[in-house]
Amino acid sequence: MKRRQYLIGALSLAVAFVVFVIPFIFVFLNAAKTAAESATLDFSWPREWRFWQNLVEVVQARDYMLLLAYFNSTVITVGAIALMVVSGAMVGYLLQRRRTPWNRIIYGFVLAGLIIPPAVVPTIWLLQQIGLFKSITGMIFIQCAYGLGFTVLLYRAFIATIPRDLDEAAIIDGAKPWQVFFKVILPLLKPVTVTVIVVQSITIFNDFTHPLYYLPGAENVTVQLTLYNFQSQFVSQMNLLFMNILLVTVPPLIVFVFFNRQIVAGMTSGAVKG
Amino acid sequence: MARVVLNDIRKSFGAVEVIKGIDLTIEDGEFCVFVGPSGCGKSTLLRIISGLEEQTSGGIEIGGRDVSLAEPAERGIAMVFQSYALYPHLTVRENIGFGLSLARRPKAEIAAAVKKVAETLQLTPLLDRKPKALSGGQRQRVAIGRAIVRDPGVFLFDEPLSNLDAALRAQMRIELTELHAKLGATMIYVTHDQVEAMTMADKIVVLNGGRIEQVGTPMELYEHPATPFVAGFIGSPTMNLYEGKVARQMGCDTYGIRPEHLTLSSDEGRWQGRVRHVERLGADSIVHLDVPDLGPLVARTTGDARIAPGEALWARPQEGREFRYGAV
Ligand SMILES: Nc1ncnc2c1ncn2[C@@H]1O[C@H](COP(=O)(O)OP(=O)(O)OP(=O)(O)O)[C@@H](O)[C@H]1O
Ligand SMILES: [Mg+2]
Repeated sequence: MKRRQYLIGALSLAVAFVVFVIPFIFVFLNAAKTAAESATLDFSWPREWRFWQNLVEVVQARDYMLLLAYFNSTVITVGAIALMVVSGAMVGYLLQRRRTPWNRIIYGFVLAGLIIPPAVVPTIWLLQQIGLFKSITGMIFIQCAYGLGFTVLLYRAFIATIPRDLDEAAIIDGAKPWQVFFKVILPLLKPVTVTVIVVQSITIFNDFTHPLYYLPGAENVTVQLTLYNFQSQFVSQMNLLFMNILLVTVPPLIVFVFFNRQIVAGMTSGAVKG
Repeated sequence: MARVVLNDIRKSFGAVEVIKGIDLTIEDGEFCVFVGPSGCGKSTLLRIISGLEEQTSGGIEIGGRDVSLAEPAERGIAMVFQSYALYPHLTVRENIGFGLSLARRPKAEIAAAVKKVAETLQLTPLLDRKPKALSGGQRQRVAIGRAIVRDPGVFLFDEPLSNLDAALRAQMRIELTELHAKLGATMIYVTHDQVEAMTMADKIVVLNGGRIEQVGTPMELYEHPATPFVAGFIGSPTMNLYEGKVARQMGCDTYGIRPEHLTLSSDEGRWQGRVRHVERLGADSIVHLDVPDLGPLVARTTGDARIAPGEALWARPQEGREFRYGAV
């Protein structure tokens, strides 16, 4: 029995190594090569280490575009998540606690948001009508909308495990409805909030397609779109491309490494307490 | 000061009427206990008084003020929940001071109030703990502290002791009674445990199916239960009650005799039966008899009585202790 568990453990580690670590090493090695050497895309040790020079070159490319992209992506991520957490928790709270005929309709919208695939062209049309196309604000709303359905469901399930007595005790203590939410309920939602923040921030920060559709324009560039800087029809600088990949994937990775315990706790805590 | 008056309170959930017209006055400073079987509407009535639930019709006055439509916080009440309902993310100190800090009282005033309450309830060493680091009894005390600090005219308790073990329950019963004497506030206490009702109440309200069966002091209810329901509910072990043919032979619809009002003897009495089972409680013994033509009969006798199962015994009701309902 022990021996079998050991084997299974070793096997899964090996698979994880092949799937996750080898590509990363490949990216890392190629990011340190010269342009000519990296063009062959070999899995080989760099003959000449140009890690630092490549890094500087990537950061400086196109007038420090990467830094602008970091800034834009961060603004979008923070904005969208702040909006998502506050509105998701509020909607989840009302859906769970209040009994009104509206609940079914709102719940229907939440599910629709989760099930129906987003349509790009009408969304762009709508953004243009309200003057938010090609703007960071518009992008924040879009990212928030994409994640909101899942967030609401997560919060609703968790709030169902918080006894209603707590709300009532606060009401008797003189809390107004918004105080019940912000002072009693919201602090108890921390595990879910951490989960939402981490999962969504990685998704939004790493998003490639949605900024591509909804946020054209050099001044609006986001981190994933900077990859285009080094791969186009005419020039390919694989070493810089790989360096760029490295720079773009590292921040989310750090977030994940630091918060991964809380994420798992938040994902399961609603389920177990029941 | 904090007299509570209920005028024809009714409450329906959808089509189901749960509270069916309650008129009741609870005097200032009284310890009033609502008892009744599960589902009779005790909690609902208490929640209507607190304002957490809105009555379908009827009026509520607290301290001479009509509060029928007032917010819970404006009624001058405090409530202790069965589940304690402590805020898990706040320390004991913050739990007790929560209401005051919502009211934006000065920090020093809150600290002083919390300190005073903590001393009353011996919570001072626990002030910086979170609720999850407390025992059940300590949590209960914090919940009571949170009520006291509001300095309410009326305390509402919904089965506050039912999550505690028997020993702690007995201790908390005494503490609550002492607290009542000390604060002199009106207290309304919901329980389905008739021991709690008998030991703590100035006034017991027996509820059944959303109606009041009887209101009175514990001894009034014990000595003069107005209905067979009250007779069966108050007193432990419960009264022997007989209906139908047996009762008609004794000239009534329902006949009742308490176990402690039966005298057992080996040679004479009204009913002869066979001992089925003897419960020895130490000071007392509870004797279960099977009486032909009557049915099971429970009698209470001294702890040292030498009675064995299978023995034949006579039981005789004591003079003036029999209850006859619907007598013709
Ligand atoms: N929110 C509600 N919706 C519908 N019915 C309810 C609601 N709350 C209570 N009831 C019903 O009202 C009746 C009285 O409930 P209540 O909680 O007051 O009983 P109780 O006397 O406190 O019982 P227990 O001793 O078990 O606590 C029950 O039949 C219950 O099913
Ligand atoms: Mg109840």
